[in-house]
Amino acid sequence: MRAGAYPAFALTAFQSRLAYRNQVWASAFGELVISFAFIAIWTAAFAGQVVVDGATLPEMITYVMIAGLLYWNTDRLINDVGEAVRTGDITIFLLKPLSYPASLLATHFGHYVFDQLVVTLPVLLIVGFSVGLLPPASLFHALMALPFWALSWLMLFTLGALCGLLAFWLLTAFALEWFLKGIMALASGAIVPLWFMPGWLSGILGYLPFAWVSYYPTAIYLGKLDPPATFLYFGIGLAWLAALGGFLAWLWSRARHRLIVQGG
Amino acid sequence: MAAIISADGVDKTFRQLKRQSGLAGGLRSLFSRTYTEIRAVSDITFAIEPGEAVGYLGPNGAGKSTMIKMMTGILTPSAGALSVLGREPHTNRMRNAREIGVVFGQRSQLWWDLPVRDSFALNRHIYDIPEARFADNLAFLTEMLDMGAYLDRPVRQLSLGQRMRAEIALALLHDPKIIFLDEPTIGLDVVAKDAVRKFLARVNRERGTTIILTTHDLVDIEEICPRLIMVDDGKLLFDGELTRLRADLGSRRRLTLEFATDPGPLPLATATLSRDEGAAKHYLLEDEAISLIDVLNEVGRGHGLKDVKLEEPDIEEVIRTFYQNKSRLAGAAS
Amino acid sequence: MLHNITLIPHLVRMYVRTRMEYRGAMFLAWLSQGFSYGAMYATIALIIARFDNLGGWQWPDMALLLAFHLLAYSLGASLSFTQFRDIEEKVRLGTFDAILVKPVGPWTFLVFSGLNIGYGGHVILATGLMAWSLTQVGLAWSPLLVLYFVAALISAAMLTAALMTMIGTTALVWVRSRHLFSIFFGFWELARYPLNIFPAPLQMLMITLAPLAFLAFVPVAVILGKPVPLLGAWAPLASLAAGPLCMLLAVFHWRWCLRNYQGAGG
Repeated sequence: MRAGAYPAFALTAFQSRLAYRNQVWASAFGELVISFAFIAIWTAAFAGQVVVDGATLPEMITYVMIAGLLYWNTDRLINDVGEAVRTGDITIFLLKPLSYPASLLATHFGHYVFDQLVVTLPVLLIVGFSVGLLPPASLFHALMALPFWALSWLMLFTLGALCGLLAFWLLTAFALEWFLKGIMALASGAIVPLWFMPGWLSGILGYLPFAWVSYYPTAIYLGKLDPPATFLYFGIGLAWLAALGGFLAWLWSRARHRLIVQGG
Repeated sequence: MAAIISADGVDKTFRQLKRQSGLAGGLRSLFSRTYTEIRAVSDITFAIEPGEAVGYLGPNGAGKSTMIKMMTGILTPSAGALSVLGREPHTNRMRNAREIGVVFGQRSQLWWDLPVRDSFALNRHIYDIPEARFADNLAFLTEMLDMGAYLDRPVRQLSLGQRMRAEIALALLHDPKIIFLDEPTIGLDVVAKDAVRKFLARVNRERGTTIILTTHDLVDIEEICPRLIMVDDGKLLFDGELTRLRADLGSRRRLTLEFATDPGPLPLATATLSRDEGAAKHYLLEDEAISLIDVLNEVGRGHGLKDVKLEEPDIEEVIRTFYQNKSRLAGAAS
Repeated sequence: MLHNITLIPHLVRMYVRTRMEYRGAMFLAWLSQGFSYGAMYATIALIIARFDNLGGWQWPDMALLLAFHLLAYSLGASLSFTQFRDIEEKVRLGTFDAILVKPVGPWTFLVFSGLNIGYGGHVILATGLMAWSLTQVGLAWSPLLVLYFVAALISAAMLTAALMTMIGTTALVWVRSRHLFSIFFGFWELARYPLNIFPAPLQMLMITLAPLAFLAFVPVAVILGKPVPLLGAWAPLASLAAGPLCMLLAVFHWRWCLRNYQGAGG
């Protein structure tokens, strides 16, 4: 297995997106509109109040922007896996000296980098200059936000890949895509941070892996967790990622086994 | 008799995006793009009489499908006049549609998840086919195309050959005056190809249905279509009978003789040497009348002949030959 | 025309039977989409639970807005979304050509041979939420209000179908239209919030170029007697006219694109 092949997957994915010029402009425009809409929603919710549950409006604006950056659209990933399963193309990967999950990871990392550079970054700049964004709460929080960002990306990738792979047994990736969307809307904290939720709900959601996608990385950036808590939650997140990654590896081995034995 | 289809100087141009390669090219294309004009059909003129079977032949990208799309009313010609059943197809698309049948070799018009019979039944409503007429036609087509065994099976379970037969039946249920077939034998195995060809020839003969079919398989033409229209690069190369094309061009079969050891130079009267590789010698057979036996008789024994290979010219070869002889045929093409 | 209409039940029956071949997947899709919208609405409910209201709209008002938004959307989209989204692919694969060689109006064939019954989850959630919210907002029902409610819902569904038709049809001429759908869904998402919370340029955009304010906010604000920015007293009339007007525009756009259809080339 040549490790050098994987960056090529990422690069190919990145380049393939350039061909869809209109899609790029439309995504950037759509992202900009949605961003201003969420800023408007929080402005309306605060309705002049300065601090609610320890958070200020500028903090919330920064929160929605960063949380949105972290929660990328998993449709493409789930569809890719679901289609490969449905059409049987997945068997082609078994013939190549490559790991399918690893090539998938590289490909979608390429897509992510593309989306961040071409779509999210310009939007962040526009919002930063027009409305204003807060810097990280401290050097410690800035430095810790980076590993949390990596953890967030891997967590969402694992969740998306799991949903796609489950299509192998459920024969439809569509429904799984929507279930994940629903769970993420509520439990990732991408729209509403956990601190605005009733205690019992944030108590539950705070320990589910979805919160590591948007809520924890953004809360760290804004300095809402002190250093010991930061390390503690990073550890819990890692444990979740290991557990989900293990589950994904197990599912993949089951799928491979089935493909080899039953021929798809 | 008046022509059922006539094309007079028909042109079709498309605008196509130029793709730029590489990362830099891709980034550049985010901001600016360039287009090229492609002339898919260029100054085509022909007339087809009712009851004819015409093969529209040419390599990929020669403009065959574009021409079919114009005759069926899907596309408007960029220039020239086109008339099908006395009407301009594009402006009378719906009326035209009632009287023609269209089969696309690579796109199904059947409902993938439903039994074949259901797609037929829907067509009865789409084309307003009277009940009795529909029953007669369905019975005839089912028998002729041997579809009885799979009429109640979902289309997704059919083999390609079975599916293509059903596609053809679907296009004939409403007694069209003309049937257009775009690559009807593409991808089929030998047996299925044969069944399709025999059936189409019979429909043309017995029902008088005019057939226009595109293909890049010469055998389709040989078995179904006495008349051949050959195009390449959008332009009309030849319009006439296949036998005339062969006679005019010479069939130029390719012969390879393999010897155990190099017999030295071996010029023949019956065949022209095209390439000499020593132990393997390549010839062209220009004359239709000369058979393999004639050549082997001339070569005779004593050269240690090991193997013989005779290749019929494929369409690419015919067109190549055609280009080489274009000046000679200029007067002959109508 | 009459021929087209008599054909509709046959086309719908074919499509429904196709979907029923995979009914398990379809019901699972209903469930998952209902769940997903439910979860999304729950997050909005959480914001309002913490902050009391959003731009003067309390939870029962919001619930009616969300239900109207979802119901009108799913009614309109069942006639248009998947059908017109897939035109892009139909053009590429050439299956759109196969529609054009039939003696049927291509619009009739396209819409009804794909009349999407996949919105079951949407409709169940939307009607449930709507019924609940209507018991909470305390409307003074009158025959005129009932009439307005139904007419506004139909107009909003027409608006959805018309916009989707226009976007998808664009693929006939420009080959691609997916990007326009992503813009549509961007504004569509905003359309589930009270218009008055957005900055003025965005409000303007949403009642003109991207008229999705008429999908839910304008009619629901009229029903609840809340102020409508920019439109004021014209709001009831405008919300009733938006759907038919867009439909008319869609008809012209469809005809124009069909006339200029170039196929996949070659």
